[in-house]
Amino acid sequence: MTEEKPLDFAREITGRLGGETITRCYQCGTCASACPVTKTTERYNPRQVIRLALLGQRNDVLKGDAIWLCASCYNCQERCPQKVEVADVIYALRNMAIRGGNIPAIYTEFAAALMNEGRLAPMSKFLEKKRAEYGLPPLKPANTEALKKILAATGFDKIMFRKEGAT
Amino acid sequence: MTGYALFLGCTIPARQPHYELAARKALTKLGIELVDMEGATCCAPPPIQSIDLETSLALAAYNICLAEEADLNILTLCTGCFESLTIANRILKGKRELREKINKILSNVGKEFKGTKEVRHYLQVLMDDVGVNRLKQNVVKPLNGLKVAAFPGCHLLRPSELLRLDDPERPRIFDMLIETVGAKSIPYKNKLRCCGGLLRGYADDVALAIARDKIANAYNAGADCISTLCPFCFLTLDLGQMLIKTAYKEEYNMPIIHYAELLSLSLGVAPKELALDFHKMKVDKVLEKIG
Amino acid sequence: MEEVKVGVFLSDCGGQIAKILDFEALTKFVKDVSGVVLVARGSEFWRGQGLQAIVDAVKSKKINRVVVAETIPKISEVAIAKAVEEAGLNPHLMEVVDLKNHCAWPHIDTPEEATEKAKAMLLAAIEKAKLLEPIGKAEFPAVKAVLVIGGGAAGMQAAEDLAEMGFKVYLVEKEPFLGGLAAKAVRFFPTDDCAICIQSPASLTTVTQTSRKCVYRSGLSEIPNLNVLTNTKIVKVEGSPGNFKVTVERKPRYVDEKKCVACDLCTSVCPVEVPDEYNAKLSKRKAIYVNKLLVYPPAYVIDAKACKFHECAKCFQVCPTKAVNLDQKPEHVTLNVGGIIVATGFREYDPSVIKEYHYGEYPDVITHLELARMLDAFGPTSGVPVKPSDGKPAKRIVFVQCVGSRDRRWNPYCSSICCMISLKHATMIKEAFPDADVTICYIDIRTTGREHEYYYERAREMGVKFVKGRPSEIIHDPATNTLVVEVEDELLRRLLELEADLVVLATAMVPSEDAKELAQILDIELDQDGFFKEYNAKLRPTETKRRGIFICGGAVFPKDVPTASLHAHSAAVKAAKFLMNGKIVKDLKVAVVNQDYCGNCQFCPVTCPYGAIILEPKGDGHFTAKVSELLCEGCGVCVGTCPVGAIELSHLKSSQISAQIKALLSVNGTSKPLVLVFSCSECGHAAVDSSGMAMMSYPANVRVLRVPCTGVIQVQHILEAFKAGAQGVMVVGCKPDGCHYEVGSQKAKQRVEMAKMLLQAYGIEPERLEMLNLVFIEGDKFAEAAKTMSEKVEKLGPLQLS
Repeated sequence: MTEEKPLDFAREITGRLGGETITRCYQCGTCASACPVTKTTERYNPRQVIRLALLGQRNDVLKGDAIWLCASCYNCQERCPQKVEVADVIYALRNMAIRGGNIPAIYTEFAAALMNEGRLAPMSKFLEKKRAEYGLPPLKPANTEALKKILAATGFDKIMFRKEGAT
Repeated sequence: MTGYALFLGCTIPARQPHYELAARKALTKLGIELVDMEGATCCAPPPIQSIDLETSLALAAYNICLAEEADLNILTLCTGCFESLTIANRILKGKRELREKINKILSNVGKEFKGTKEVRHYLQVLMDDVGVNRLKQNVVKPLNGLKVAAFPGCHLLRPSELLRLDDPERPRIFDMLIETVGAKSIPYKNKLRCCGGLLRGYADDVALAIARDKIANAYNAGADCISTLCPFCFLTLDLGQMLIKTAYKEEYNMPIIHYAELLSLSLGVAPKELALDFHKMKVDKVLEKIG
Repeated sequence: MEEVKVGVFLSDCGGQIAKILDFEALTKFVKDVSGVVLVARGSEFWRGQGLQAIVDAVKSKKINRVVVAETIPKISEVAIAKAVEEAGLNPHLMEVVDLKNHCAWPHIDTPEEATEKAKAMLLAAIEKAKLLEPIGKAEFPAVKAVLVIGGGAAGMQAAEDLAEMGFKVYLVEKEPFLGGLAAKAVRFFPTDDCAICIQSPASLTTVTQTSRKCVYRSGLSEIPNLNVLTNTKIVKVEGSPGNFKVTVERKPRYVDEKKCVACDLCTSVCPVEVPDEYNAKLSKRKAIYVNKLLVYPPAYVIDAKACKFHECAKCFQVCPTKAVNLDQKPEHVTLNVGGIIVATGFREYDPSVIKEYHYGEYPDVITHLELARMLDAFGPTSGVPVKPSDGKPAKRIVFVQCVGSRDRRWNPYCSSICCMISLKHATMIKEAFPDADVTICYIDIRTTGREHEYYYERAREMGVKFVKGRPSEIIHDPATNTLVVEVEDELLRRLLELEADLVVLATAMVPSEDAKELAQILDIELDQDGFFKEYNAKLRPTETKRRGIFICGGAVFPKDVPTASLHAHSAAVKAAKFLMNGKIVKDLKVAVVNQDYCGNCQFCPVTCPYGAIILEPKGDGHFTAKVSELLCEGCGVCVGTCPVGAIELSHLKSSQISAQIKALLSVNGTSKPLVLVFSCSECGHAAVDSSGMAMMSYPANVRVLRVPCTGVIQVQHILEAFKAGAQGVMVVGCKPDGCHYEVGSQKAKQRVEMAKMLLQAYGIEPERLEMLNLVFIEGDKFAEAAKTMSEKVEKLGPLQLS
């Protein structure tokens, strides 16, 4: 394992979209006590995630389970006295984890749905029929051509999502 | 008549047509013209933001561009879409460097984010375009004091710095609209706390525990139903009760009703004109109560 | 005009630098310069025999310009000027040049080159000296009276100091009684003594000088020269430092302070009851009232908002001394004072904006000031902490630290005293009610003062619980009328729901409401947080940008009373020092406007950091600049700003700068291209000094020209240096935010940028010009930059001037 200074990891995070504010954290715990998930499970504590990140514990943060347990409710971000954009920091960490190959299965499914149909919830034959029965207009298809070009431009399509069945 | 580009998103048209149906009926009755968008894609909500924030911004910006080209503001039903599109719209309007970066991506598909349009949730349209007074005049079937546990959902309010829809700690718009259609918005514990919906698929047990808390709090406060604005909250709380029954052996039978449905009913839409069979938790008791 | 006779005195610093510089050659060189009538060499010329030699030469040889080569001019020239003056010559007709630190030491390895540079330096000093003109002194009145604004701990302290030193003092307080915030605090830390004893009655003969004394029994009114004006606010300030005319408005008290005997008959008949703000609205008071027994002034006051006046008039009828006057009107009074001290204190931040804590919504969520009133044995709850919702004693009390402070959403700074206030209140409660369950939720406990840590220790001993964690929300359970504080105990990594009868918010301390308005009236600055800004935090902590106006206490930043006291004493001393002679005597080292060139532009009045320049009508519809000799600090920022060269400094004229530029570049003596350095007299020159003192070497082709502030430098001066043969030019000033004249360094930067553009237009490489911002300890950076510049211009080749 290569030696890494704690701040290297923090700098990498602040350099990413969403991660800019992480170094403001002074560990007051407001986020943890405001978090509906922390109240429910010991698997997640936003304050601890930030602390590990600022101490340079790259593997604990990016390979661990905690960052995937944020419910994106933004209550922490709303109440943080240092205006750390906690929920956005978690997004930044997830982005980094995914680029590093730690991709929970559900996100592979989301990515596949997006890449194939431009929607996370594909239309079914049953629903098409039901819509017609209720007099709802047929759903206009997403412009998947444009979408593919955008995903190519951001590099989204290059992310190595795991094939179904693979672990 | 005020016109909007209707941004349906993914889940509502493909999973919850009852929401779309009720919203279309109610908004049309109230004189809001809805123009279906051509070629709109996913708004890029939290699951996609989790994979790549830049992609999410680009997709949101792409969809906003469609509205800019049609010279219409966007109306969303789904709170998730409202959040992703509003955040992107406000960030990109404010940060020049980021806007240029995203526009470089969009140039591949011949689009440019100009920042000329607004994204509005249908609650805002009801408040600002229709107005509480006119809405009240249009109510033909007041909801008879139905005790509603209003659940605005996280992404209607937070992050408030960007969404700016209502006070994040003391929201009042949703409650006001519930009262306007003749129901009663009752207080209940942890009203503004998350439903846990976004953890479904990764940590179902955690998501369910959070949802159960929410349902139990509404139940204990004596609610006739929980009213939602977001298809994910709906799914989590409606389908969730079946899972709770299995996991916790608890039955709440708490009807979960989109506000658009309550609104439609109050405007005189007959229950059979709404797709109420899409509710896992039966709403008969609610219909009974409002007569 | 009198013939110029220059005497040159060369100090070889006890022979030290004679090993490097060839003093024979220097003496010979200087002797041949026109105007020089005397050259003397010695081991030092700024004290003792050396100084006497200068005096003798002035007296006997009729020398009328003195040039001294002596170390550290900034220090040595003070003694030399004094000696010259005593010898009968105007003290400004002398010039000091530092051959040691600016020449011998840094060029120790190239003694021949150093000697040649020394010649240039001496020539520059002589040429400048020949152009020097006498500078006179001016006297301005200094009224020996001081206005102190704010009658809290700091203001009372400062007022007393000055009054006892013999100054006439007006102590103005906006509230009807003295005492301010401190008087509400019940007890003070770290002594736990009564919060009311914040003032000493030195003139009360019954009390010894060393005892602690109480404000309410102090007999403040007995101190001669001290005039207390309560219920009064500042309306207007005119005049100048030393002689201000201040208009104040005295709100009607409706009770004659002199007649009132505080018998209390009026309150007993008054039918109107309103919430008592002094007691944080925890109790009620009458419309005619005193804050508490033994207040100052010892006279009742009528609350004009509540009183029914003649409709009722019961107090008027009952008053045995006819002190009540319901027809009193506001009154404007003008005070003539030489100095002003601002001591307006701070206040508690209203925490209701932090909605997750529900202050103002849940009655049992209170602030420290409210708790302090409860803990006062004479207060509304007789010393018992109660739940305001039902009046029952509070058994479980939770303190929340950093409410609205250290919070980027509201006030980013640490309010500095709230940790100690919580510790004080927690221990007071534990002492009186040992069974009370007291918890303090904190982010960091900050006990930085003397004896403060013992408080923390004592609190732990007494069983106060500490939870490291900032609560995210306070919830009210209506069923039990209990509050629940949601907090993470970070050390246990456990989420807690602390049940509480009373939650006390340690709210931020913010500037008083009228700070902004007062700053405008006084024309002084506020800092980013809205507190009054000092001139310099390190060296002039109680002075402001405006002479004669001083600040102290909580008006500058939240403080405990011991610190506010210290601060007040400091401000009092500064004010006294400023006014003690009854006049302000000043060398007229000031900017002088040439009326023939000046016209209509606004540049200098806007740029002057001291507001010393105003525009005056010329009579023909045009305006010219007028410099206040009193306010001008002589920095020359206006000189650098003036687009038409219509202002110059009496102590550094344009001709003198030109003469020095020419002289410094007239002798090279090295094989390298010449570099001219403009350095300010403050940090810039100090950095050059320190590089020499430490013998950090840089090439001898680098020559330094001292100006008061880099703000004086015009683009013209820079171009002139290039024309006179400089191949590179450096400007060395203070740090942009540490300029001794506020904006000079920043202005210089702008001019350097402008000059660079001009150079480019002339086809000259802009990198031949550079600005540095250095301080004393950065001598190494100066030496390095000088070396780099020298090498750079050498590489660029000779300058091609068209």
